[in-house]
Amino acid sequence: MKKILAMLLAMVMVFTMASAVAESTSEHVLIYGTSTEINGDFAPGSWWTNNATDKMLRDFTNDYSTVTSDQGGALIVNPTVAESVEGKMNDDGTKTYTVKVKSGLKFNNGEEITVKDFLWTTAFSCSSVASEVGAKLTGYLTIVGGQEYYDGTAETISGLRMLDDNTIEVSIVADKVPYFFDLSYANFTAHSMKYWLGEAVDIKDDGNGVYFEGLTKENIEKQLEYARFNAGPDRVTAGPYNLVEFDQASKQATLEINPYYEGNFEGQKPSVPKIVITRAEDATWRDALKTGAFNFYDTITDGEQVNQAMDLIEDEANKEALGYGFAYTQFDRPGYGKLMFQSDFGPTQFPAVRHAIAHLLDRNEFANTFCQGWGGVVNGPYGTAMWMTQESEEWMDENLDNYAYNPDLAKELLIEDGWVLDENGNEYVEGVRYKEVTEEQAGQYVHTKKLDDGRILMGCEIEWSSSEGNSVSDLLSVMLANGEQTAAAGIKINQNIMSFSELLNYMYRDATQGDKYGVPTYCMYNLASNFTSTYDMAYSYTLDPQMVADGYNTDFIFDEELDKLSMDMVYGVEAGDNATYLDIWQKFIKRWNELLPEVPLYSNIYISVYPDWLQGYEQDSYWDFNQAILYATIAD
Amino acid sequence: MGKYILKRCGYIVVVFLILSFLMYSLYNLIPTDPARQELEPQRKALKADEYQVLYQQLRKQMGLDDPLPVRYLRWMGLWAKPNGEVSGMVEGNFGYSNLYKRNVVEVIKTPMANTIFINIFSTIASLGITIPLGIYCAVHKGKRFDSVTQVVTMLGYSIPVYIIALIFMFLFCVLWRVFPIMGMKTPGMEYQNGWQEFVDMLYHIALPVIVMTFSSLGGMTRYVRSSMIDALSMDYIRTARAKGLKEKVVIYSHAWRNALLPVITSILGWFLGIFGGSVIIENTFSLNGMGKLYWQGLNNLDFELVLAIQMFYSVVSLVGSLLIDISYGLVDPRVRVDK
Repeated sequence: MKKILAMLLAMVMVFTMASAVAESTSEHVLIYGTSTEINGDFAPGSWWTNNATDKMLRDFTNDYSTVTSDQGGALIVNPTVAESVEGKMNDDGTKTYTVKVKSGLKFNNGEEITVKDFLWTTAFSCSSVASEVGAKLTGYLTIVGGQEYYDGTAETISGLRMLDDNTIEVSIVADKVPYFFDLSYANFTAHSMKYWLGEAVDIKDDGNGVYFEGLTKENIEKQLEYARFNAGPDRVTAGPYNLVEFDQASKQATLEINPYYEGNFEGQKPSVPKIVITRAEDATWRDALKTGAFNFYDTITDGEQVNQAMDLIEDEANKEALGYGFAYTQFDRPGYGKLMFQSDFGPTQFPAVRHAIAHLLDRNEFANTFCQGWGGVVNGPYGTAMWMTQESEEWMDENLDNYAYNPDLAKELLIEDGWVLDENGNEYVEGVRYKEVTEEQAGQYVHTKKLDDGRILMGCEIEWSSSEGNSVSDLLSVMLANGEQTAAAGIKINQNIMSFSELLNYMYRDATQGDKYGVPTYCMYNLASNFTSTYDMAYSYTLDPQMVADGYNTDFIFDEELDKLSMDMVYGVEAGDNATYLDIWQKFIKRWNELLPEVPLYSNIYISVYPDWLQGYEQDSYWDFNQAILYATIAD
Repeated sequence: MGKYILKRCGYIVVVFLILSFLMYSLYNLIPTDPARQELEPQRKALKADEYQVLYQQLRKQMGLDDPLPVRYLRWMGLWAKPNGEVSGMVEGNFGYSNLYKRNVVEVIKTPMANTIFINIFSTIASLGITIPLGIYCAVHKGKRFDSVTQVVTMLGYSIPVYIIALIFMFLFCVLWRVFPIMGMKTPGMEYQNGWQEFVDMLYHIALPVIVMTFSSLGGMTRYVRSSMIDALSMDYIRTARAKGLKEKVVIYSHAWRNALLPVITSILGWFLGIFGGSVIIENTFSLNGMGKLYWQGLNNLDFELVLAIQMFYSVVSLVGSLLIDISYGLVDPRVRVDK
């Protein structure tokens, strides 16, 4: 008994001693809490994995790209890295970019960056060895001669040239140009070839295109594996920060300033000396911020959480206890939460039904309730931070239907569209409305019936698929599905709660996962979409049955005009021709707004909370933490 | 005894094979497409033709178009993979994590070490408190201390661990700021030596250990108490007392040794449990352990990772039950385990 008590006492002493030792952390370390745990895969691009925090760390440590994006998300040539980038259309429809990289740039270990370090990743994406090691790369589909090199029928990649010690030339296949964002084809990022592929591999150009020497799975596999997961002083990178440590046990990464960094596209260098990236839990993030476990929390999305953060910012007592307070920056979400229809079967194949549903939901109230004042409503597939949106504000007011809450109008629309019968084919009085439809329109939808007189009726009964544990679904259930106005209009909405993977199976109609998924079953889903700075909706509304089967056009809306506009917007406009792009974008948005394949529900305002000793921190929709922090300074 | 152990090992292999097939089949019944899931985050960034090429490549690499028995045999390492390689459980390859894009063994290493480290402290602390407490309550049965302990342990037993965790977090981290609220390391800390790092780790796991210990007090205390009460009511205890032995000798040498027989299975079970992480504790305190990894694997439908973890636990359970049976024979001469 005494021994046990002594042992317990010793344990208590050790823990107490530990608390005394661990109190001191150095001042002004920016501790960034992230809700996405670091996986620890730091390979270029998303060759293997696509974890958001890993990507952020990669971007922190690899920033020497010939093409980058500015504060508004627009693609620009990076003058710190590229001497010049020139593109020209060729007679055969291909396009060639000549990229001259600057001399004198250095990796974080002081070694000079060569043209090969810029080139090899693109060449690697044309090699079958990339597939052999499991990397998801498809550069060979874009670069002239890439497919032949990949297939092994050519010794070199004819469309990729290393002209001299500073110059790269890349030719893009004809069916991928013109492309509004084709400047992205001229993007080459510096990654140390020696670090990633080892000493046994070299890249050469004898005049017919570049080729690898010594590139085999056996030669590179071990080094590649090491390079992917390695963090420490021997990690060779070229970005504003060095990844000096990644602690597997605590899943914490530490970044320190790279003294060899020449600056971003504006020559901006970082001044926050140390950044630690650590995990934040949804249940405890507020207390973690409050107690200083981390002092930066990025992109708070939920309205309730935003309000909690605001309370913390105003908490003077905590500021005194912690020794510093908090500030925040806010920005619009580049996307929205939505009700998505599948428009090729059931009642939602009729635009009037989609419009009626939009009019039955008070979207302003919905957004206000869900976002708690930190959000608004959009009327099309756009985010408020996009330059197209900002330049079209007046135009949108004049040209887009905002589908205001109007149950009477919803009823009128249904009547005009022929939803005037009851389930027996008599004149509608109450309950669910029915409409006489053709056999083709009826399809296999569950709420159809054939009367004795041969007429086929479809009930205005919507089968809605929603994922489990989803607060948006709960609110939709109250405000729309079970709303009195919906029943009064003669529409019935049946909520079907399922796992997200099952929802996707139904949405994609993926029969490989079971025959039932191949049958159109749910005509309404609630999901969310975010738009990248390269707004490219090509193939999203394709009419090609094979592509639809592959999961493009999940709205199953087959409208030639919408498809054409979505393709022309990017593949019918030369890069830099913003006026034409904007014109097609507006036509696309207008057509989308008329057809309404989705009802945008809310577009949040996000906030990021940071310590008040950080000055000049300005984040935006397309200007992330790793970019914005370069401009921030530490207060005296 | 040796023959018995060999026979049981044979059973373990058979049970393991049946279990592995059932588990593998069960996970394959879940309607999901790992290739599509893998590419889903990149769908927007990929052009249609690129997506299709990658999708087909992935399906081929993952062997998703092959029948279930073939995929099972590949996973077990008894059938060649699409690339011709034969590598599976039998060869020591416990699978490939789709989430982490690494071999499962590599993924599991660190969380397993963390979990064992945390659980060792928690198990020792729990046993160190519950056994003496149970004995004391049994000896002082019906007294005020016993009644209070019964109430407190019942409370600890009844309140869910996540509630205890949140209450302790509020008290020790937010209100009194004694312990850190999360993680296993002070962010930004520059350690002078390994000892300092070790101590910092202890500091971070202190509260999770306290919570785990507190929430496990009820069960074992009550178990030891009832076992001791049974033992103390035996005739040989009366005989021992009649012989004039000291009360301490009666309790610890006579009663406790006999009370230990039913308790030993639970104690062994606890020690085997050090491999198993706590999903709730590890997620609440943001600890990188097996429970959290298992949870992440399930959430991300990373079935090879989850299967590997479950098969590991199956082996631990099977071997554990064998050890418990053998230990019965060792501690209780009345039990023969060679049949």
